[in-house]
Amino acid sequence: MMPIWTKSGKKHAVTLLKVQDCHVLKYISKEESDGKTAKLLVGGKNASPFSKSESAMEIFREAGVPRKQKVTMFNVTDDALVKPGTPLYAAHFRPGQFVDVTAKTIGKGFQGVMKRWGFKGQPASHGQTKTHRRPGALSTNKAAKVYRGKKMPGKMGNIYRTSFGLKVWRINTKHDIIYVNGSVPGHTNCLVKVRDSKLPTCKEYNKNPPFPTFFADGDEKLPEDLYDEEMFQFTDPSVTYT
Amino acid sequence: VCRLSSDEKPGKFQPPPKPVIIDKLKQIEERRFLSPEFIPPRGRMDPLKFFIERKDMIQRRKVFNIPEFYVGHILAVTTADLYAKDKVNRFVGICIQRGGKGLGATFVLRNVIEDQGVEICYELYNPRIQAIEVLKLEKRLDDNLMYLRDALPEYSTFDVNMKPETRLDHEEIPVNKLQVRMKPKPWSKRWERPRYNIKGIKFELPEKVMKEAQKWSQPWLEFDMLREYDTSKIEEKIWKEVNEELKK
Repeated sequence: MMPIWTKSGKKHAVTLLKVQDCHVLKYISKEESDGKTAKLLVGGKNASPFSKSESAMEIFREAGVPRKQKVTMFNVTDDALVKPGTPLYAAHFRPGQFVDVTAKTIGKGFQGVMKRWGFKGQPASHGQTKTHRRPGALSTNKAAKVYRGKKMPGKMGNIYRTSFGLKVWRINTKHDIIYVNGSVPGHTNCLVKVRDSKLPTCKEYNKNPPFPTFFADGDEKLPEDLYDEEMFQFTDPSVTYT
Repeated sequence: VCRLSSDEKPGKFQPPPKPVIIDKLKQIEERRFLSPEFIPPRGRMDPLKFFIERKDMIQRRKVFNIPEFYVGHILAVTTADLYAKDKVNRFVGICIQRGGKGLGATFVLRNVIEDQGVEICYELYNPRIQAIEVLKLEKRLDDNLMYLRDALPEYSTFDVNMKPETRLDHEEIPVNKLQVRMKPKPWSKRWERPRYNIKGIKFELPEKVMKEAQKWSQPWLEFDMLREYDTSKIEEKIWKEVNEELKK
């Protein structure tokens, strides 16, 4: 995470995400999948092919791509047909867009009810016998049962969670790095899924993206760094107010 | 000099030892200063992140001069302030702490203005900073002068209109061995305890208190190998990289 300053002098915290060897693996058309949207299978970070069975390696062989550590599905429109095997780059996103980031949260193991659900527990003194961090009552008298989904101690973390509506401040095309506003679930160097935001307030900012994706061998030659309009670039002189 | 008592063939000519010329100018130029925020902390972060952060830091240093300073220097910082007269705010103070790594590196300046102690934490790479001037150069005996909060206010007062002191490059920065006198206890932290390792206070406490404070000493800490973080090689690499980029 890094600080970033706007042209008006405000500071924001930013997370760096690296796009490491992403390739499109398969295109599943609308009819083959559930019938509502077409899907694209995308694979991330390269991994060793020796610890997977032959049937699992089929998808990678057909796409002509080394085995990927993470394979995710993206819901796409019908005209977003991308040939399997095309590499995906950070320039697929542009500064000023809004993005949802999904990842597995840091696993905390088996945790009690105070840490896991934020219960208040009991006082430390004034006669409490062996009861300081317990949940207390589980349900009412009339119910005569405990409802499903009651908040109780258990394994905390290591589940997929999404942070919505994160602004993209900067894209580094040389090293394929996306600078995303705020914090992102997961530990450092964990695998993360980045999608265009689905929030209704972010629809107008996400217009005119590179469609269907940014092709490196195409005609567009991008500069090494793409900045958002409001972001302060370190090549400019210091900020002054008038 | 004739060496007749050598073990080799007698009469063989031994040339005199060559004189060693010590070039004093070259020796002085060898002093280096790498700002502590360039050194990456120990952790499992990808080194690419530090490389990219360093590029940004060097970019900023090319446009805006961040002088070399240590804890104990007296600095004057002018920042752009929206709510100040003339939109510019100038603060003079002694640097008591330098913290943070990378772009978020900070330094805290302390001064006493009209009998009120004021500490301001500035970020080195904040674009609102217009200028950083070094007014007085002196290192102190400690890396962290937080104890000035509990010292007599005369040690933290500095004239706001002080003139900047010129300094010759390639000279050793003088160390001020001032022993500071403290206000009566209670203090914000127990500065007499060995974990703070303060050498710049003149403790006027009774011996009993000093002996009791030594109970909290942890003499095994300096031998703990897992805490060792040898930064000399990393520093050299980063020093070369930073210098090359700055010269461009």
